[in-house]
Amino acid sequence: MAQQLAMVIDAAKCIDCKACVAACKVANSVPEGQFRNWIKQADDAPVPGKASGKAKFQPGACMHCDNPTCVDACPTGATYKDPATGEVVIDHGLCIGCGNCLPACPYGARFRNAEKRKADKCNYCPERRAAGIPPACVDTCPTKARVFGDINDPESEAGRLYQKNKDQLARVTARTDTKPNMFYIGDPGTPDWGGEAVVPASMVAMKQTAPLLKAVVGLSGLGVLAMLGRQLIAGSGDHKEDTDA
Amino acid sequence: MSRRDFFKASGLVAAGALGGPALLGGLKKANAAVPAPAWDSKFSACDICFNKCGLIARVEDGVVKKLDPNPKFLKSRGMLCARGNAGIAQVYDPDRLKHPLLRKGARGEGKWQRIPWDEALDMAAQKMEEVRSKYTPCGHLFSAGTDLHSQFVGRFAEVYGSFNVTSHESLCLVSGNRAFLDTYGEVPFADVLNSKYIIMAGANRFEALVTPDSMDLMTAIRENGCKLVTLDPRYTKTAALSHEWYPVRPGTDMAFMLALAHVIIAEKLYDPQWIEEKTYGIEMLAEHVKQYTPGFAAEQCSIPAEDIARIARELAAAAPAAMIYPGRRTSDYENSTQIRRAFAIVNGLLGNWDKPGGLLAARAVGLKGVPYDAPWYDENQEDRIDAHKVPMMFEHEGSFLVTRDAVLADDPYPIRGWFIYKTNPMGTAPNRKKTIEMMNKMDFVTVVDIAMSDTAWMADLVLPSQSYLERTDPCSGLQGSVACACVVKRDPIIEPMYESRSLFDVMKGIAGRMDLGEYFDFTIDEYRRKQTRDIPEALEVMDRDGVYYNPSKVYGIYEGRIYKTLSKKIELYNQRYEQMGLDPMPVYTEPTKVPKNQFRLVVGRDALTTQTSTANNSLLHQFNPANTLWLNTESAKRLGINDGDLVEVSSPVGRQELAAEVTDKIRTDTVYMLSGYNTLSTMQTLSHNVGASINELLDDDYDTVTGNASMHTTFVSVTRKVA
Ligand code: SF4
Ligand code: SF4
Ligand code: SF4
Repeated sequence: MAQQLAMVIDAAKCIDCKACVAACKVANSVPEGQFRNWIKQADDAPVPGKASGKAKFQPGACMHCDNPTCVDACPTGATYKDPATGEVVIDHGLCIGCGNCLPACPYGARFRNAEKRKADKCNYCPERRAAGIPPACVDTCPTKARVFGDINDPESEAGRLYQKNKDQLARVTARTDTKPNMFYIGDPGTPDWGGEAVVPASMVAMKQTAPLLKAVVGLSGLGVLAMLGRQLIAGSGDHKEDTDA
Repeated sequence: MSRRDFFKASGLVAAGALGGPALLGGLKKANAAVPAPAWDSKFSACDICFNKCGLIARVEDGVVKKLDPNPKFLKSRGMLCARGNAGIAQVYDPDRLKHPLLRKGARGEGKWQRIPWDEALDMAAQKMEEVRSKYTPCGHLFSAGTDLHSQFVGRFAEVYGSFNVTSHESLCLVSGNRAFLDTYGEVPFADVLNSKYIIMAGANRFEALVTPDSMDLMTAIRENGCKLVTLDPRYTKTAALSHEWYPVRPGTDMAFMLALAHVIIAEKLYDPQWIEEKTYGIEMLAEHVKQYTPGFAAEQCSIPAEDIARIARELAAAAPAAMIYPGRRTSDYENSTQIRRAFAIVNGLLGNWDKPGGLLAARAVGLKGVPYDAPWYDENQEDRIDAHKVPMMFEHEGSFLVTRDAVLADDPYPIRGWFIYKTNPMGTAPNRKKTIEMMNKMDFVTVVDIAMSDTAWMADLVLPSQSYLERTDPCSGLQGSVACACVVKRDPIIEPMYESRSLFDVMKGIAGRMDLGEYFDFTIDEYRRKQTRDIPEALEVMDRDGVYYNPSKVYGIYEGRIYKTLSKKIELYNQRYEQMGLDPMPVYTEPTKVPKNQFRLVVGRDALTTQTSTANNSLLHQFNPANTLWLNTESAKRLGINDGDLVEVSSPVGRQELAAEVTDKIRTDTVYMLSGYNTLSTMQTLSHNVGASINELLDDDYDTVTGNASMHTTFVSVTRKVA
């Protein structure tokens, strides 16, 4: 079986310390005020005594989905799902910074890197993996709530946790079910903060036609060039229009 | 064929070429592994708080790119928190001090002149000589924070001849240390990992991180079925993750603890044999706690009596693998030592001393001290300036607040010089105005730090120190829980930046100019070899693993050993206190009622903050750009304050403005803000003029036994600021 890199997170262990967020920012030079990962908190009204809220903190990031709507929305093929590892990759050489993929992710995992002016999101820290060490957020987590690895490999910690807890693993549900590869042990709270994927109509059309045609439509439909043009013209200005589907 | 492949194959990549050469990367095989960075990996230990977590610095071309946890470092359980990760931002902070600076204008005016190091050291030495000859050696005060070089400040003070050395500890934890020391004969570590029942009162372990306790607490809960009960006027992250949380009325924890003792004794839930053999004073304690029923405590604490009784029974049932967590920041009330004695006594009843899941004795780490003979000065004062003002002060820590009052009053003698290393009393001691007054009293103040803290801002001479990644540090022994008794050291990870020098070199330089050179006539390497003379393999092991473990015993250390107390047992009843006229057992007094329309201001931390030293950190600043005033929804409504409104907070000693955070996570009679903000120093560009300084507001009461600041005795008024 091919690999499926994923995170298996014990949400009940998360103390909302933000170490993972800080580590990710340093490891990946994420610009000021932008983030590749986050902790969501269920709205827990504090209840004194035994009924005490038991807050739920939910660590998150791009979930490298099985049905990645961000891939559908990408006009250049810069965003794609790597069949060998199951990662959803952004090839920055091909990314034109059009921003189509931002609203296409129902979890808000993507942002436009303010410095690089390209799409950005969690990439499972490939440089670190090449150096033989875990992704920054996983490595640094005080309670080891975040576990990363190939869930198809029963020898890996992630695979072991995945197999062991298979029946009770939770996923974040969104109105568009992208089949995320981020699995929660225990109750992650706020399961439904995902929204709806907004994929540009032209890209949806591409997905529905034959693969080759799809691409031709995408290109000849001026989607790519138009968006490329916008990116170049808009410069560092506001890119709100890019999010229109 | 995927779109991506098509896009490339179709030659349309040219369109993308407009995007620059980066496109070439896209032509690589989709799976082409990214090359590993050309890192050099070097061991060190974190210095953004006091924990000293083990880390590995990833260095490229002499620049630190990332700080990662050292997986072999058991004390920190192979983790690095947000602050640890933000260490890079501290080291490369553009606001760092770069050269020696001499004050030009009035104190605090911010006019500085860059001077060469030689001139700076000459001046420091000359001024210190002047103070010594004019006011005796004790006329000079020395203050140092928690740092591996801080011991050299103590060494310098001693050979210079001054007893007046203060640390940060009397603004933090000495009353708790006193209480446990006077009960057990030493200050224990908590075996959180193996505990089955933990009561957390006056500590917030999931935010104010202490390694390994914070990590172990989660493992204990999640993997070992440990139950956590938290008492806190705030719904902290710890409270939020507890099985039970009680918004206790501030200042009443002692009543709760005495009621636990009441139930445990009345229902004979303790191990009679253990109590008989190991403790002193059970009969007196039984008599004493008769009055403190759960009903009584319920009224004081606003916690239901049946819950108190039930918790006592559950706690006793889980004993000895159960504990009242000792906590750390114990500076809260004027009777803090007695409050913490109540904690220690309940632990005594649980029989958890020296046992799994209970309180542990210190383990042998293996390091040795490096002794020296200090010269004698006939003309000197007899004692510290803060001596005899409270009965049980820790000699080597002193009391900052008592010292400050004594300095202001010249009582019993004048102090006119002050040397400060890596601590920031302007930002950490209550009643900031008084600290300014104290500064103004000084002839000459020298500060060694990496940043222009508010304390440096008020000084005469400011010397740039090396950060923890730039210097050679002596060895340090660490321990905690069952994790380890270990030794760490720090070697330079990068070249020292700017003109920074280590504190040791500064001390050496000043000492050499004062005829005290012989006391600093060694290198840190030589010093380390002396420290490790009993464990000669340690230095090599540290080079290999970043840490050395001493294979010392964890449990049962006290088997066949006597306790260092008067009764040679665990003192439920303290004989020494009795002799000194102090309450031998904690006597509950009700805290002052919060005046109508006022609030009790409480202090606290989150996992992203270390007092004043992180407020100007550019990474952490993104999480906490300014502090806010936590104000209960109901109270806010009564005052017509909305979330985010600017409010004015006023106390008997000062007033500040900041935004209100209207929340249900705090009692109606209590308000809270983070420390570290609104610095006076404009050279702390992120924290200057942002939020509010809590120390401008806090009044300067202290614990009557130890002189530890009492940070929870200030009442404030809150009003909406009309624009
Ligand atoms: S989480 Fe969002 S960005 Fe990540 S793969 Fe799924 S849809 Fe794409
Ligand atoms: S795996 Fe790497 S990129 Fe992804 S969230 Fe964690 S640190 Fe960030
Ligand atoms: S580092 Fe771990 S515990 Fe801390 S917020 Fe992230 S996932 Fe939660």
